[in-house]
Amino acid sequence: MSNELIEFVLVSVALLAIGIYGLSVKRNAIRLLFSIEIIVNAANLNLVAFGRFIPNSAGQTFALFSIAIAAAEVAVGLGLIIVAYRMYKNIDIADFKSLKG
Amino acid sequence: MIDFTSTPIILIALIGSVGMLLPVINIIRKDRGSTSFYGAIALVTLIVAAGFIAYQIFTDNVASPAIFSEDVLVDDTFGSFFAIVVLIVAILTVVGSFSYMRNQSYPAVYFSLILLSSIGMILVAYSTDLVMLLVAWELMSIPTYVLAGFMKKNPSSNEAAIKYFLFGALSTAIIVYGISIAYGITGSTNIGEVIVGFASLDASMVPLGLLATALFIAGFGFKMGLVPFHMWLPDAYEGAPPTIAALLAAGTKKVGFAAALRVIVMGTIALNLEWTFALGIIAIMTMTVGNLAAIMQKNLSRMLAYSSIGHAGYILIGLSIAPFSSIGIQGSLFHIFNHAVMKGAAFIAVAAIAITLASTHLDKIKGLGRRMPITSIGLVVSLLALAGVPPLNGFWSKLMLFGSAIDAGSVVAWAPYLAVAGVLNSALSLAYYGWIIRKMYFEGEDEKRVKEPKSIIAVMIFSVIFMVGIGVYPDPFIQFAGTAVPSLNISSMLSP
Repeated sequence: MSNELIEFVLVSVALLAIGIYGLSVKRNAIRLLFSIEIIVNAANLNLVAFGRFIPNSAGQTFALFSIAIAAAEVAVGLGLIIVAYRMYKNIDIADFKSLKG
Repeated sequence: MIDFTSTPIILIALIGSVGMLLPVINIIRKDRGSTSFYGAIALVTLIVAAGFIAYQIFTDNVASPAIFSEDVLVDDTFGSFFAIVVLIVAILTVVGSFSYMRNQSYPAVYFSLILLSSIGMILVAYSTDLVMLLVAWELMSIPTYVLAGFMKKNPSSNEAAIKYFLFGALSTAIIVYGISIAYGITGSTNIGEVIVGFASLDASMVPLGLLATALFIAGFGFKMGLVPFHMWLPDAYEGAPPTIAALLAAGTKKVGFAAALRVIVMGTIALNLEWTFALGIIAIMTMTVGNLAAIMQKNLSRMLAYSSIGHAGYILIGLSIAPFSSIGIQGSLFHIFNHAVMKGAAFIAVAAIAITLASTHLDKIKGLGRRMPITSIGLVVSLLALAGVPPLNGFWSKLMLFGSAIDAGSVVAWAPYLAVAGVLNSALSLAYYGWIIRKMYFEGEDEKRVKEPKSIIAVMIFSVIFMVGIGVYPDPFIQFAGTAVPSLNISSMLSP
């Protein structure tokens, strides 16, 4: 098994592509939220891999901050989605169209 | 080493601790109402913070503007300038909320979130490390997601919050990915070291540097409302409570430009001077799309939201010609300052209309000048200032921006076209602002005067004095913006 930077970066780009696919195709709010989380995790993988090969610890430090922030963001986002579900009995963002102009 | 007497640290201790304590006080007091009690605490905190920054500036305790520092936070006039802007906006929002939040539940949480979001905005402006920048960016964003959906029973507030949240989270993800690439090719998260690394990149790595800069433009551009990253903005501003729309349009959007100046402008300059052309193209697209779409709107909040997209384009003119003209960034900063007050006042006038008339549809504001005279005068003055009518403050900052674009024409051939586009767009914007004014004063039957919310009258009087005052005597504020202009010389950093 080789253990080179390019392999980590390829996995990260693949995750980014999956995230973008999810964002452009899916219409369920929770699926969109998870697609965004996949993009954040692709970036975290990048940071940790770069941090190993540069080498310094700044990348891993940044990844820890980013994970904590993503957790806070998901908590708020799920809260908003729950409130929306109580009102619409549905979390399909295609049905949210009271605001149009 | 952290200096515990520097401005940002003291502001964190002051605003952050009061913001955290407000819900605790609410639990201890076991009450649900009393908006004015919690509002007063928040207001006093913000005024003390603004006074502290003004004291620091007048006693020259603040360093001259440095884009870069080895610390994570730098105590410079660039950050202090944005901190003053944010605090003025937060004070306007809190005072406007005294009326808007009356009889609404959870006032303590509401004011606490406003304070936390303001400290986040202030820290974005002071931060010189990408880790700090991201943390402050999220501290600014996450409370505003909740605030946008604060009216839980209102479907449009809910929908606005979900759209705003999804695009906000996506912008964060893009920023993190951009930072990961910037870290990968330069080996540091300190903004100064990243920029110096960009300037001395290997030729094979330059495309990656451009990719990182493009990701930063996309990520920060979502919050700034640049075209083509603006689609969430009208929905979010229309559905959110109008006081929060004021905070978003005048606060978070302006702070995006602080981050953009530190990261995007410096990054493009470091990579290749010609790339600021891309910012010029985005500027023209942003102002044209914003103003054209604003003409077709039927809702006052939505029209103001599109107009704020247009103003993001004007501000971007100064950033795109920054390396070629000495007054470009000064004009941008001055317009940021003016636009924060103008748009804040306009949205809070909309809040007054929403309270008394329960709708912000354009048909409902017929004869508003006779129903709510003071709110109407505030709205008219801020609309005229937004259009850039002399002698109001918007005129001077637009004059500086367009003048600097023509000035830069001696260096780069495309710069004067930015000024042409800006002047045409200003004329266009006067059309729809004039339409609102016409509806308010020259249409409708003999309406009776209704009672206007008291705290909003205070905001209107303050902002009218402010806008006319700066318009008549702009010199000290132009100089204040001038002291905040950072040096863009990267080569001086390369040779220590």
